[in-house]
Amino acid sequence: MSLDFTVIFEGNNLTALLEGLWVTVSMTFMALVLSTMLGLFIGLGRMSRNRLISTLCSWYLAWFRGTPLLVQLMILYYGLAIGMQIDLSASVAGVLGLGMYSAAYVSEIVRGAIQSIDKGQMEAGRSLGMSHWQTMVKVILPQAVRRMLPPLCNEFIALTKNSSLLSVITVSELMRAGNLIVSNNFRYFEIYLTIAVLYFLVNYSISVGIGRLEKRLRVEGGRA
Amino acid sequence: MIAVKNINKSYGNLHVLKNVSLNVAQGEVVVIIGPSGSGKSTLLRCMNYLEQIQEGSIEIAGKPIGLINKGGKFVEMPQKQLDQIRAEVGMVFQNFNLFPHVTVLQNITMAPMTVKKMKRDEAEKLARELLGKVGLADKAQMYPDQLSGGQKQRVAIARALAMKPKVMLFDEPTSALDPELVGEVLAVMKQLAAEGMTMVVVTHEMGFAREVADRVVVMDKGVLIEEGPPEKIFTSPEHPRTQAFLSKVLSN
Repeated sequence: MSLDFTVIFEGNNLTALLEGLWVTVSMTFMALVLSTMLGLFIGLGRMSRNRLISTLCSWYLAWFRGTPLLVQLMILYYGLAIGMQIDLSASVAGVLGLGMYSAAYVSEIVRGAIQSIDKGQMEAGRSLGMSHWQTMVKVILPQAVRRMLPPLCNEFIALTKNSSLLSVITVSELMRAGNLIVSNNFRYFEIYLTIAVLYFLVNYSISVGIGRLEKRLRVEGGRA
Repeated sequence: MIAVKNINKSYGNLHVLKNVSLNVAQGEVVVIIGPSGSGKSTLLRCMNYLEQIQEGSIEIAGKPIGLINKGGKFVEMPQKQLDQIRAEVGMVFQNFNLFPHVTVLQNITMAPMTVKKMKRDEAEKLARELLGKVGLADKAQMYPDQLSGGQKQRVAIARALAMKPKVMLFDEPTSALDPELVGEVLAVMKQLAAEGMTMVVVTHEMGFAREVADRVVVMDKGVLIEEGPPEKIFTSPEHPRTQAFLSKVLSN
């Protein structure tokens, strides 16, 4: 059996792959929004002076960073449905699972960036009569966001790649679309290579997009 | 205007302020001098409670800042109350601490708009007035990074003045500057003093202390060892440690 890339165009293979790609992109995007917001809260929470909040956030990080995503997805989708009669749809479980897992990593990115901002910035804000939160929102976070971008880019790319695990909880994303095609025609090399290229294109776009954003923010905002 | 009474502060085992008391009258310019590590910056930072104290009391214009006496025990005041008093105390830092992500103008308008809910036009008008006052009217749209150290510090002074403070604290405002830029910052400070601003200044600029201070306070090892009018401190200091310190810095 020689290589034959025309199988991609056979039947509705290409449509199936592109539909899968769309599911991958949209679920990753929703997970990314969830992960960014949740990660911001967990990251800020870890620095809270309230012991309860900071402890809870530390445990969140420890748990979601310390267990495999695949296992978390299995618990969310099959475990909750069978063990506790909480029946989430595959896509809801997928977005939640990906988002909560990634939020653990984002929270560390947030915390690191905030703590890298010079202490004098908070002091200057406070000395002008602004509250801790006003200073955080107007002074610290805008500067921290710039420092978060490069590691966030890594995290978002990892998120896109991890979304291929959603195939095991029946989300019809790119990987699963590929699996279905391969199970019919056994064209492993052609189909998986195509999938790899599609993932690559998505991730390459993310890195270019964030790179541009970084440059724009740098030009607008001088230092930091 | 400022009443510091018997404050004590330690970092762990290191006792950095020992029973320090200091009163500053309205319109008075007090300069704090002393060898490094003597606690003078710490004392200044306590005056708007950027540093916590363990004992004693500090009042700004009759209102306590930081610790309050609650049922015989000293406790920290609610953050909101602390913010209100801090708004009345301007602070200028050694490293400027300008906000690098916004323009010079926005550096100045941020606090009045955030804390006092001032309208944008009004805040910008005020900011432009203050920039004119410190001689930087043409720099409003620049970012802090595009300014020299002396210009940055003058913006920082304008930023603090925008809150219309009753007191201005200066923490070694010229120590991070190239020598040729020190003069422009001191000139702005002299002008402020002449306008009757109550000021507390920690500095190594003995010339400034001599010329502008109403009173010079000498600190060493966390203790206020001597105070008096500048002529007296600089010409006939009483405390041997003051003599030793001055002979070192004045010989340069």
